[in-house]
Amino acid sequence: MFGYWDALYFLYAFFIGLVISYLLMKWAEKASTGTRRAGDGTKIYISGEDQDKIIPHFEHFEGYFTGRHVMWGLIRGAQRMFLAFRKEHTGLLTDYVAYLLLTVAIVLGALVIGG
Amino acid sequence: MTLPFLIIIPLFGAFSMPIISLFGKKLKEYWALIISGATLGVAAKIFYTVWKTNEIILYTLGSESPIGKGVKFPIRIVWEVDLLGALLALTITFVGFLAVLYSLGYMKHDTGLEKYYTLILILELGMLGIVITGDIFNFYVFLEIMSIASYALVAFRNDTWEGIEAGIKYMFVGSVASSFILLGIALLYGQYGTLTMSYLSLKIAENPTIVAKVALAFFIGGLLFKSGAVPVHMWLADAHPAAPSSISAMLSGLVIKAGGVYAVARIVFSIFNPGLHAYLKAFNMPSINMEAVGWVIVFFACLTLLIGNAMAVVQTDMKRLFAFSSVGQIGYILLGIGIGTLAYGSRAGELALAGAIYHIVNHALIKALLFFVAGAVIHEVGTKNLNELSGLARKMPMTTLAFIIGAAAIIGLPPLNGFASKWIIYESSAMYNPILAAIAVVGTVFSLAAYTRVLFTFLGRESEKVKSAKEPEMSMLIPMLILVVAIVVMGLLPWQINDKIMLPTARMLEQLNGEYMVALLKFLGGA
Repeated sequence: MFGYWDALYFLYAFFIGLVISYLLMKWAEKASTGTRRAGDGTKIYISGEDQDKIIPHFEHFEGYFTGRHVMWGLIRGAQRMFLAFRKEHTGLLTDYVAYLLLTVAIVLGALVIGG
Repeated sequence: MTLPFLIIIPLFGAFSMPIISLFGKKLKEYWALIISGATLGVAAKIFYTVWKTNEIILYTLGSESPIGKGVKFPIRIVWEVDLLGALLALTITFVGFLAVLYSLGYMKHDTGLEKYYTLILILELGMLGIVITGDIFNFYVFLEIMSIASYALVAFRNDTWEGIEAGIKYMFVGSVASSFILLGIALLYGQYGTLTMSYLSLKIAENPTIVAKVALAFFIGGLLFKSGAVPVHMWLADAHPAAPSSISAMLSGLVIKAGGVYAVARIVFSIFNPGLHAYLKAFNMPSINMEAVGWVIVFFACLTLLIGNAMAVVQTDMKRLFAFSSVGQIGYILLGIGIGTLAYGSRAGELALAGAIYHIVNHALIKALLFFVAGAVIHEVGTKNLNELSGLARKMPMTTLAFIIGAAAIIGLPPLNGFASKWIIYESSAMYNPILAAIAVVGTVFSLAAYTRVLFTFLGRESEKVKSAKEPEMSMLIPMLILVVAIVVMGLLPWQINDKIMLPTARMLEQLNGEYMVALLKFLGGA
């Protein structure tokens, strides 16, 4: 059986993870030009958000792409996913029926072929 | 024989309610309380009997034996109660009783309460019927009784558009899902000529045709809808927040279990019997590939637990957040059932099933508590918008405590009951396939984020709206406190509960020795 207090190891690993990620963040602040703290009134440029959205030699990229700061792209991606979730509508009746029919069709296909 | 009283008492209570309500305003509330209390007593006795004897109860309606006159196969309606059915019946009656008790205070300002209490008893009766029946058409009848009562209860507060819209959508799409289930039953009856579940499982094993596979697909499709699995979960997020909170507690805690995941488990294990088909496959005989069935369930389970919990993070409506969280938790239960099918007969499979059953019970208690908390907040403050509810902790300390316990339990923090069941599901999925365990843990991370937000709302700076809030009355506080105690006590005894109740229940459902079939075969004279 599982050990009830084994879960404490998870907490232990979680706290070590927190400390490591905090140190990483501090290092990234110093090492990167993309993420920096600034005083009041300073305009902050998160990399990729150039005034004209063009990076020298990367003119074919627009928006949030920069080679150096993939992290921001990932964060942006996650944020967009949640924005999409937030927009979920309560939906039309026909949508619900369509989802149900699709689900049944998928299960039917899977079971007739694989079952 | 006490089994029929499980149906007779709530049925009598429901239909006598209009007459009782003529004798006084308060009387109908106490009548509902007495009836649901008596049903709880009967369910406890049945559970104790099945648990103690470790034998399946088989009851034939209106006769001594299920075998028809002049024929050698079962033609009568049978009720077949194994440990899973008895455990579910106990959970349903327990939460149902608390929901009626909670309604005394919560529904005080509503009108048409005789209809409300009639419907709540019919809802309970439908669920109890589902978990005790051994006849597939009888199962459908009880499923419809349960569903129709829940459509009406979702739209009970018909002075707001929210309830009406959610109720109508739920009713239309729910009817389509029910039609699929009925079609599956018709296909099986047409092919095998019987409706008795355990006899059907024999017949299907004798001659597994494509019709049986199509019927199984219709069952799974329809029941995924009823359990609120992604991508057919949208009705749940509309319907559960729109219903009165006492009903939301029953819908989220019980209806999606009895009419959804329980039914999936019953059909997969008791009618299609993975063990029998694995045996047939080993001898190169025609069989149904239950691995495909297991993977279909696992696929939808992973989708459900990721999307359900992630959607909960972005909600601003407290009840909608809880509803999406229910979707996420259904994912864990389905994962347990799926792995139980895939790893049938192994330690991982047994553990996964035990974890799923454990989580069904735990989630019923936890989600009932959380919806009771939401109801208390709506009752006192008048809003369920999280942005307006900041700082409730000072004004409603008991309610906040109940929420903290409920939230910690549903996230799976030790030492509460949610931890034990989730841990068994993680462990069994890690034993079967570590990727599935990783997906399950990611789902929990989303769940943690969602509930932390609500926690900050409760503990934050006091907002204007909550200034005049106070604790709800005792009839609402007591059910919450009973659930808190149940959650904490169950969390402190995880081994005992798992070893003494959940594992035997899983073994009886798995029926490695064909217990579910043998209970009926006794009447056939060892056929």
